[in-house]
Amino acid sequence: MSTDVAPPKSLRELFLGFLSIGARSFGGVMPWAHRVMVEERRWLTEADFAETIGLCQFLPGPNIGNASIVLGKRWFGVAGSLVAFLGLFALPFIWVLVLFALYADFAATNPTLRAVVTGVGAAGAGLFIGTAVKLGRVIARRPAALALIAACFLAAGVGRISLFVVLPLSLVVAFACARRGWL
Amino acid sequence: MRAQGLAVNLVELTLYFMLLSLISVGGMPSILPEMQRYVVDVKGWITPEEFMQIFAVGQAAPGPNILIASLVGWKVAGLAGALLALFAMCGPSAVLAWWVDDLWVRFKDSSWRKAAQRAIAPIVVALILSGGFILATPGAPDWRLWLIAAATAGGMLLSKVNPLWFLAAGGILGAFLLG
Repeated sequence: MSTDVAPPKSLRELFLGFLSIGARSFGGVMPWAHRVMVEERRWLTEADFAETIGLCQFLPGPNIGNASIVLGKRWFGVAGSLVAFLGLFALPFIWVLVLFALYADFAATNPTLRAVVTGVGAAGAGLFIGTAVKLGRVIARRPAALALIAACFLAAGVGRISLFVVLPLSLVVAFACARRGWL
Repeated sequence: MRAQGLAVNLVELTLYFMLLSLISVGGMPSILPEMQRYVVDVKGWITPEEFMQIFAVGQAAPGPNILIASLVGWKVAGLAGALLALFAMCGPSAVLAWWVDDLWVRFKDSSWRKAAQRAIAPIVVALILSGGFILATPGAPDWRLWLIAAATAGGMLLSKVNPLWFLAAGGILGAFLLG
């Protein structure tokens, strides 16, 4: 198996690659982004992919949306960022609106459908909780991290205090803790 | 005037989402509580139940889950709202990513970068947890929604199947418990 990777040769190739990520991303985009860019088209190495995703998780914004901006920029500058972003979102944008319009049509007269969709929503909420536990169980071994998680959750989740208050405050506290080696 | 009211809503939504974009560390899950607070509690554009259904459709549809913002925009101001919501939600953070990319690579081994990464991790965890809690509690606490959410979280932690199966199972449970 050869390990050589090469960036996309044209904006067209970049667009089609991101289009195929967006088109197939049932149940989460990240696995498909990996599959298309690292395995199928071999645009970048496993390590580059992980490093880029690390940056995008750190930055505000949708992870995969940021990845399209950053990778597009590295390969083709501003044009690359725009083309990759539009390729990624073009089909999912249409699909989500069509799906929602269909749903709104049927749900008006069909209480069972509403119950099904509410159940899907509750399961989606469960996926968030599961994700938080998965990410949190490693870092929560540190008492300071556990206290931060609890305080933020009580403030933003239970207390419904605005994120514009919670985020700056908790960032200051967390950064001070991290510099002292508590996190 | 209805049209005028709509235009005002559209401007408010766009500006608010642009601000939200800049604090969306951790992506859609982290800002969901804040988005819900604004469009449901503060503005009253959408009911809590509608918000949950928007979320459910957005989760089940393929694509980045930031498109939930587009559905909120669609609900508030139609197609223009959906498009503007997407670009408002992604634009400011995209510009930031564009600029930070070089710095990020340059400061690869800096202790500041490492401290910042460690500082953000617990906050993102708490915000994702908050998003899950709020979505599972759209009105008064309902044990049936909590049961579905808890079963899904447990299933996800214990197995490696595609998350779509959990959404499907949640739908079936919903039909029996809530129908």
